[in-house]
Amino acid sequence: MKLGLILALFICIGCTSKKEQPSKNVQNPKVSLQTTQTNFIAGSPINLKFKTSNNNAPLKLLLKNAFGSVIIKKDTTNTALASFNIPKNYCRLAGNLHWKLLHQNIPLLKGKLYIETNTKNKTHVETYFGPRSITAGYNDYSMLTVVPTDIYDNPVDDSTQVTVKYQFQKNINETSLNTNNFIAWYNVRSTTKAGRILVTSESNGTTSKELTTIVFPSNAEDFKITASSAHNYADGNQIITFKSNIIKDKYGNTVSDGTLVNFIIKDEKGAYLNTVGTTISGIAETRTLHPDYAAKWTIKAFITGAAESNTINFNFEAAIKDYPIQFYENNRKLVIGPFKSFMKQLVPDGILVKIDIYDKKGNFIETKNTTTKNGVSSIYLETHYLPNDTYNFKIKAAGITKEYTKDLYGN
Amino acid sequence: MKTEKTNTLLILALIVGIAFHGSAIFFTLEYTYDALIHLFFADSYADSWFDPWEYRWYTGFTVQSYPPLVHQSIALLSYIGGLKFGMYTVALIGIVLFITGAYRYTLLMTGSRRIAGYGSVLAVFSSTFVETLHIFGQLPSIVALSVLMHSMVEIYLYIKTGKLKYFLTSVSMLAVTVTCHHVTPIFGMVFFLAPLIGMVVMDASREQVNSYKELTFKVFWRTTLKHFWRIATFGGSGLFLIVFCIFPYWYNSKRNPITQVPIPHGSRDNFLEVTSSGLVFFLIPWGVLLFILPYFFYRYYSKRYLFFGLSFTMLTILGTGGTTPVPLMLLGETAFNILTLDRFTLWATIMALPIFAEFGYRMVEGDLKTLVQKKFGEVYHRVLGGLIAGGMLFMVIFTMTLSYFRPSQPAQINMLPIVNFLGADSHDSWRYLPLGFGDQMAWLSAQTNAMTVDGNYHSARRLPELTTRAIERIENSKFRGVEGIGSLQQFLTVPEKYNLKYIFSNDKFYDPILYYCGWQRLQQLENGIMVWEKLNVAPIPQIMPKQDVPTVMKIMWGIIPITTVLIAFFINIQMIWIRLLKSKKVEKSPFKSFELQYKKFPSKLLIFSHFWAVIVLACIGYGIYLFYVKNTTQLSPKNVLTAYYDALDFKEFNRAHSYLDPDSNVTIAQYMLEVSVTDGILSSYAKMDSLGIEVFDVTKNSAKAKVATNWITPLEKVQHTNYHELIKQKGKWYIKPSKFDNDIPPDQLFTQNTTTFYNHGRRKITTQETYHEDVLKQPVLEILSAKLVKNKGQYSIIGELQNVDNSPADVVIKATLYNDNNKELANYNAKHHIKHKLMPKETTTFKINFEGIAWSSTKDTIPPTFNPDEFTPLNFEEQPTKFNLQSAGNTANTDLYKQVALQSLEFTNQGINGVLFNHGVQEVTIPQLIVSYYNEDAELLWVDHKFIPEGVRIQRKQFFNYKPVSLDSLTIINSSLENCYVNGLPNKAVAEKVLPNRIYNHGPNQIQPYKGNGYAFIKFEINSYIGNPK
Repeated sequence: MKLGLILALFICIGCTSKKEQPSKNVQNPKVSLQTTQTNFIAGSPINLKFKTSNNNAPLKLLLKNAFGSVIIKKDTTNTALASFNIPKNYCRLAGNLHWKLLHQNIPLLKGKLYIETNTKNKTHVETYFGPRSITAGYNDYSMLTVVPTDIYDNPVDDSTQVTVKYQFQKNINETSLNTNNFIAWYNVRSTTKAGRILVTSESNGTTSKELTTIVFPSNAEDFKITASSAHNYADGNQIITFKSNIIKDKYGNTVSDGTLVNFIIKDEKGAYLNTVGTTISGIAETRTLHPDYAAKWTIKAFITGAAESNTINFNFEAAIKDYPIQFYENNRKLVIGPFKSFMKQLVPDGILVKIDIYDKKGNFIETKNTTTKNGVSSIYLETHYLPNDTYNFKIKAAGITKEYTKDLYGN
Repeated sequence: MKTEKTNTLLILALIVGIAFHGSAIFFTLEYTYDALIHLFFADSYADSWFDPWEYRWYTGFTVQSYPPLVHQSIALLSYIGGLKFGMYTVALIGIVLFITGAYRYTLLMTGSRRIAGYGSVLAVFSSTFVETLHIFGQLPSIVALSVLMHSMVEIYLYIKTGKLKYFLTSVSMLAVTVTCHHVTPIFGMVFFLAPLIGMVVMDASREQVNSYKELTFKVFWRTTLKHFWRIATFGGSGLFLIVFCIFPYWYNSKRNPITQVPIPHGSRDNFLEVTSSGLVFFLIPWGVLLFILPYFFYRYYSKRYLFFGLSFTMLTILGTGGTTPVPLMLLGETAFNILTLDRFTLWATIMALPIFAEFGYRMVEGDLKTLVQKKFGEVYHRVLGGLIAGGMLFMVIFTMTLSYFRPSQPAQINMLPIVNFLGADSHDSWRYLPLGFGDQMAWLSAQTNAMTVDGNYHSARRLPELTTRAIERIENSKFRGVEGIGSLQQFLTVPEKYNLKYIFSNDKFYDPILYYCGWQRLQQLENGIMVWEKLNVAPIPQIMPKQDVPTVMKIMWGIIPITTVLIAFFINIQMIWIRLLKSKKVEKSPFKSFELQYKKFPSKLLIFSHFWAVIVLACIGYGIYLFYVKNTTQLSPKNVLTAYYDALDFKEFNRAHSYLDPDSNVTIAQYMLEVSVTDGILSSYAKMDSLGIEVFDVTKNSAKAKVATNWITPLEKVQHTNYHELIKQKGKWYIKPSKFDNDIPPDQLFTQNTTTFYNHGRRKITTQETYHEDVLKQPVLEILSAKLVKNKGQYSIIGELQNVDNSPADVVIKATLYNDNNKELANYNAKHHIKHKLMPKETTTFKINFEGIAWSSTKDTIPPTFNPDEFTPLNFEEQPTKFNLQSAGNTANTDLYKQVALQSLEFTNQGINGVLFNHGVQEVTIPQLIVSYYNEDAELLWVDHKFIPEGVRIQRKQFFNYKPVSLDSLTIINSSLENCYVNGLPNKAVAEKVLPNRIYNHGPNQIQPYKGNGYAFIKFEINSYIGNPK
């Protein structure tokens, strides 16, 4: 039953498509063009009239322009004069408009009309300006492209005059151009000063909108840096600040904000440390932490590929000259410290203390890391892990290494 | 013949069933695994009924990959009250069909209306039904099974009587089943209909002899031959229906065979090993039935039910998944890996229903009651009855609340802001990807026209990134371990391949990988979902590929399913009418004559059942005991460490603290404080994968342990080794707390000036293309060096580039490899071996690895398992010798934090120790070191990276250790800037124009001399991910 239904359905579907055969033996009417005008102004209505021998002949007009093709029917019925009203959008596009008169798909007549740009009405100015940012100097430029059009978006005829104006700081320049191949263009050269260039253009009494390009500073020139800190003791806690002078390009413009300056710090052991600053109003500032041992730093900053700074030195004096170590509770409790800084004050919390433990044969057992609190660091070595025996301790803190050999005994 | 009285039990079951399930679905259905997928399919039909191609998932797939009836019904109903109305209505219909189906099936099996009433009541409270509906949300499966149960009665009647009427009713219902669900009728033919036919023949044979004893095989064979044509007619029409009704489905299966890597499913697990799967796929569906198993087998192996007995046994065994090797042997490798085996348990438990009902009847008012009362007394009978009923209720409540206590889905997401976002400003011109949405992603897809690369119907997956991995969705890739993350990373690294621009993240787990793949945060929506976007991705093309099917198929697919329902309805309405309203006397159904008089319950069976119950109880008890021992956390050093790491993994810091040595005087307040201030990939973005504990130096009261943990992080697999000291106090093991850093920053308050950037996007509000003057110039980059290298069998492109513009740049860099004949071999983008955001004049080194999917012929090169760190060396006959680099800059205005300094470096035998110092005002969650290696001439050789597991807080230090690699096997195949392009322009031209007087010694001046194996210099660059930008 269901099958029947579906079969019926298929049969229905099968019946729907039918091919139409073009009828033969058509008697073509005799036609002739009545309209004589072949040039029109864009936007003006166009009407094509044909005289026909058969009043009822189903005449159609095929239109073709740059946008595409369309077939229209005649407006009049049962008269000897077949009249076709060209649709608005075909009347508005400047250029050639081809037509073909058809009778039952058979062309009877063909011809073309020319539609001129409508210069009588207001002109529109379409402008493009780019790139939106350029670099100061003599190489770079932004290009302004102007396309004056009529109200129907048809480009105006070549050699239409276009005035271009551009402003930079106090100067306003003006120049006249003629359109060629429908467009006019002008290269607005970069300036040596950074800033903003505004441009506009005018044609046939119509002005364009305001367009702008930013002149960014050119590449940086070499610069100077300084280092400053509250003191020059290596306490592992203070912040040292590096600062550049105002970095400028070769035309004297301050480099653009955000320019990255890489400060490379070389310490006396040959390690390359770094910290990064980005410029604000040309000044790059960055910071890093004091080392916690005496060190000699050599600092140089780079704007990679473009500029570099002078080399400066910063020497850190040892803040902690020495520290005591006490062993308590059968040598199982180590109290390291108090760590005293350059004014004999207790160091701020957090000095790293490393204890390497070796057995009496010199075999490495383990490393214990602690940090100081209130100037001292204490650690308890439990019997579970270090049974009673003789051990060698290497204690490293603030760049000072101390070695002890101790017997551990008891609990 | 007299009119039968209305079956009160059935009416009761329907009322209770609809009230209970009907109201519960509103709280459960949307949180189930499958319901929203069916909703999405329904939306697809509602949008375009006849067009099976659905663009919104997997870059397009066909809905002809799933039988359509339920989806189309929801779609039809959605025209009345929306999609969800449709879904709930269909669910309600399913509930009614199931209860009545269970009634009729029980009636058929037992011949007793009383027992059938019991059957309907038990069906309402069957835990397997509760689970299938309220946890799995398998609507098509339920509807198909229910209709199948209804059709069984008709099939019995047809084969018994041979009347055309019954033939029509049975095939009409079978057709409905087929269009609902394809697996149900296929296996249903084998497991339900074959034994049913056997039973019919058995009944017919029984009628020819006086007792079952006289029913020999000879009699049975004779009767079979007598009924042969009916069986053949029915079997033939059944097969025809299965093929014909969903013919487009079979056509599609043939055309797009499931060639993907099988996705692991819990129902294939060994239930003894994976106890959670055992619970969900075995214990819950069986529930109380487990205790009564001996009775089922006893009854099903009686002569009349013999074929059901065989079928029931098969189903029970198949339902055990990977616990025994039998299912794998029976089904074969392919079927075993494609089918989800839980459906066998579902069918087994449904098949058991009539016998369970019979048991219930005998227990409540039959011979079993008498026997138990006689043997053990009345009280015992009541207690036993109470226990069984209580057990059933417990299982129902337990199952219903399972997803409440252990949510399988993220909390319900308000989709409106996302739908609005996608609809606004042409955001739906790109694909999007939801992350951490669970099955709700289907609901999001149903509400928007925007497309995603993901999808929730894994059989229809089409993209090689998905089909080559055992992942069902990218959306929940973190649950699929490294493989899932690997697949996600491929989408994130090369998003332009699928025009993927937006990501909706509902799980901050994925944030770091998004950042390191070059994505940026766009905005947080009102519902808390974070939108990420990727720059430099083209919109979806207007014309998209589509796999079309013949119009006939479309029409069949669109019309047949609903037609089957209409036909079945018209054919059966008369019967339903008569049965429902008792308006006419109906002739007694032949199966009713097989109703048994339950007189004597075998007391041996009763005793055996008791033994069996004891065994089951003992098993459950043992399970609970094991659970207890496993969770006695402080029994041994290993236990306490396992528990401690488990607590850390789940961020239960109170519990973690309770395992710390109480004598160490770390208060909970202090512990929480310490934990809360440590941020980083392990504490915020990791899921523990495995834990290896090695205990050594064990004494009676102390131990040391090395704990090697493997963490799945969005970025890579992290191995972390910790050393712990443990002590035992008062019989309990504790962990000694590690010392924490006492470091204090110098300043309480400090100031910092930074340059920030803002990009308006569109200044003019327009629905059209962005105005020309609102389009920013692409920042100009310069590629400083580029090389094709081969290291350890792996091809990589390495190099260095610089943002030479005046505005910050987001960098996308794509490399393509060619062989000598200029044949393209592979292309891929830079993943995380690059700083994607560059300030003006900033440089970055980069490395592009070519992952499996990048190669032109995927099939040969797919690594069997994906490991983001490891690379499967590829054996090509075609060696890459040339490359092309395309880099593109786009103005960036976020993620430009550069205030992390490299403060100290120490070169030791254990690697390089260093300190990172954060001097800015943002907390760096995951710092990344990009380490580049150079030869004696300071030319780049290799790029490596390291994610530092802990974050760097403001004005604080973070120690790191980096082990430099050995580059003895590295070869440079090609070093050239010839085919390098920046924003589509040749690199050379850009370099000459923007930085004509480049100072080339700046690079060498910034690198660290280091005597390494195969290199002379290294350089550390720092890339910082900020989890919570302020």
